[in-house]
Amino acid sequence: MTSRLLQNFKGGRALLIVGRGGKDGSLESTLAKLGVTAEYPEIVDGRAQIEVGNLQPERDILFVDGDLEGAVAIEVNPVSRLPPVPVIGLVGVEAPSRLKALVNLGATSFLRKPVHGGAVYTSLFMGINQFLLRSDMYARLQDLEGRRRGRRAVIRAVVLVIQQDGLDEESAYSQLRRESMRARQNLELYCEEFLSRRANAPDIPGRATSITLRGGNKQAM
Amino acid sequence: MTQKHYRIGIMFSTTGSYSVVARSMLNGALLALQENAEAGGAVTLEPVVVNPSGDLERYRALSLELLGAGVRQVLGCYTSSSRKEVIPCFEKFDGLLWYPSHYEGFESSDNVIYTGASPNQHVLPLVEYLASRVGTRAFCVGSNYIWAWENNRIFREALTARGGIVVAERYLSVGDTEFDQVISAILDQRPDFVFNNLIGTSAYAFFRAFRAACRARGIDQVNEIPVASCTLSEPELAEIGGEAIDGHLSSSVYFSSLESPENAAFIAAYAKAFPEGPVSSADAEASYIAVKLLVAALEHAGTDDARAVRAAVASQSLLAPQGEVRIDPQTYHAWLTPRIARSTLNGQFEVLLEARSPIVPDPYLVQSSPRFASAMRSPLLRVVQS
Repeated sequence: MTSRLLQNFKGGRALLIVGRGGKDGSLESTLAKLGVTAEYPEIVDGRAQIEVGNLQPERDILFVDGDLEGAVAIEVNPVSRLPPVPVIGLVGVEAPSRLKALVNLGATSFLRKPVHGGAVYTSLFMGINQFLLRSDMYARLQDLEGRRRGRRAVIRAVVLVIQQDGLDEESAYSQLRRESMRARQNLELYCEEFLSRRANAPDIPGRATSITLRGGNKQAM
Repeated sequence: MTQKHYRIGIMFSTTGSYSVVARSMLNGALLALQENAEAGGAVTLEPVVVNPSGDLERYRALSLELLGAGVRQVLGCYTSSSRKEVIPCFEKFDGLLWYPSHYEGFESSDNVIYTGASPNQHVLPLVEYLASRVGTRAFCVGSNYIWAWENNRIFREALTARGGIVVAERYLSVGDTEFDQVISAILDQRPDFVFNNLIGTSAYAFFRAFRAACRARGIDQVNEIPVASCTLSEPELAEIGGEAIDGHLSSSVYFSSLESPENAAFIAAYAKAFPEGPVSSADAEASYIAVKLLVAALEHAGTDDARAVRAAVASQSLLAPQGEVRIDPQTYHAWLTPRIARSTLNGQFEVLLEARSPIVPDPYLVQSSPRFASAMRSPLLRVVQS
C-alpha cells in the first residue's frame, strides 16, 4: 500500500502560535495563496488558547514558534510520537533545546524565521505528508501488532482443526484461511472467534477426540 | 509635468537554442518602450539590454550586474530554469523581475510579477480540449528541465482524472535534435496525440522529423497523431518550415490572428518596428504587456522601489492585444484569456476555442487540482509478453 500525497491544501486552517513580532514575514500571505486561512490563537499566561478536542487533522495545521517555551500543550501519542494534527516548527533561535521541544511536539517540518514565502509550500507539503505517512505507518504497525498477538489463536485453531477434522497442518490452515476470507475477517480474528465458538459448542460425542486417518498417516494426539 | 527617468533591465537570450522566441520577446518590450517614449508620459525609461545566451551562469551574473548598477526593475527570462536561477538575486537585492512567459506554476516570489500564463490558463484548457475532442492516450516529449517535468505532471494528473493515460514520457536535453528513437517509440505506441514540451531548436527539429517519419509510413500525422503544445508560437512556425508547419495544436492566451482593434494596432506597429522579424508571439505580447504595466506602476508609485512598484501594479489593468489584462493582487500573476488554436500553412494560428473573458490565475492550482496527487500509473513499466 502506498500513501497518497496531499498536494492541494485548499480549505486548510493554519493556527499560528507565535509571539510578539511573529506576524512578520510572508507566512500568512503565502498561506492565503495556497488556499489556507490563518488564525492566531491568543496566548494567555504563556499558553496558546487552543481547544485541542476541536482540532481536525484533515483541516488544521499548527505552526508553533519554537522560541515560545511551553506555549502549546497537546498530547502526543506515546508510541507514534504523533500530535493530533500536523505541527510545523518555526525556528528562530537555532538551539538544540528549542529544536528538541519542537520534535517532542511532533513537528514534521520546519520553517526559519522570518519566514520566506518561497519556503512555505515546501514546508507545508513536507509537514502534512510526513504526518500522513507516519499516521499510516502507525496504523499499519498497530495492525501488524494485533495480528502478531493473534498468531497464537491461529496456531491453536490449526491444531484444533487437525485434531477434530483429521486434516494435515497445511489443509487445516488452508481451511481456516478460506473460511476467514469468506467471513471477510482477517485470519487472526477469525481464529479467535473460531476457538471461542468451539469452546462454547456442546460436546459432540466421539468428535472431540476422533482422529481420521487418511492415506495411512496415523496422527498422534 | 516633471518626467521621471528610470533605467530598466531587459534580459533575454537573443542568441542560443531558444533565441527566436527571446528575440520576439525583446521586440515586444522595445515596442512598448517606443510607444511610451512617443506618448511622452510622466515616466521615461532607458533600457539596459543584456543577453545571457541561454547560459544559466550568465543569467545570474547579469542579474547581479544590473542590480548592482542600481537597476531595480528587470524584464526577462523565458525558461523556468533561468527564472529560478535569478530569483534569489532579486530577493537578496530587492529588485523586481517582470517574467513575461507562460510557465508551470507552483511559485509566487514577492520579487516577481508574472505576466505570462499560469498552468490553469494553458495546460488545463488543453487537457480539456484533447480529452473531449482528440483522444485520451498521450505520448509526452519534452526538454529535460523543470518546465517539461512539471507541465507533464500537471498534464498527466489532469488527463488521468479524465480517464486518460500517458503511455510514455521522453525527455531530451535543451538543444538536442536527435529524435529517431523517440519518434520510433511514438509510432510503436500509436497514441491519440503527442503532448510536446520541447523548446527552441529541439521543438522545430522534432516537428519536422515527426512529420517526415509519419509521411514515410503513410500516416496522416495531423489527423492521426496530432501534436499539442503550450509553447508553440508564430515565430516558431516559421522556424519549423513549410513541410511541417500546419495542423499543430497550441494552447495560449494570445495568437497574432486575434481580431480586435488593439491587436490590429499591435501587429501593425510591431511589423513596422521590426520588419526583419521574428514575428510577434504570445511571449512578445506578454513582454509588451509587462512594460505597459511597469510604466503605469512607476507612474503610480512615483519611484522604482520594488515594494512600491509591486503595490502599485496590483491596481493596474490594461486593454492588451489579447483583451483585458490585470494583475491579481494576491498572487501577482495576470488574469488572461485562454485559447486553443491550430497552426495553418501560412504560419498563423486558427483559433478554435477561447474563454469568454479573462480567468483568474491559479499558479498553485488551488482551485483546479485534486486534493491528493493521483496514484502514479507509471508509463515506464508495462506488461511485456515474451
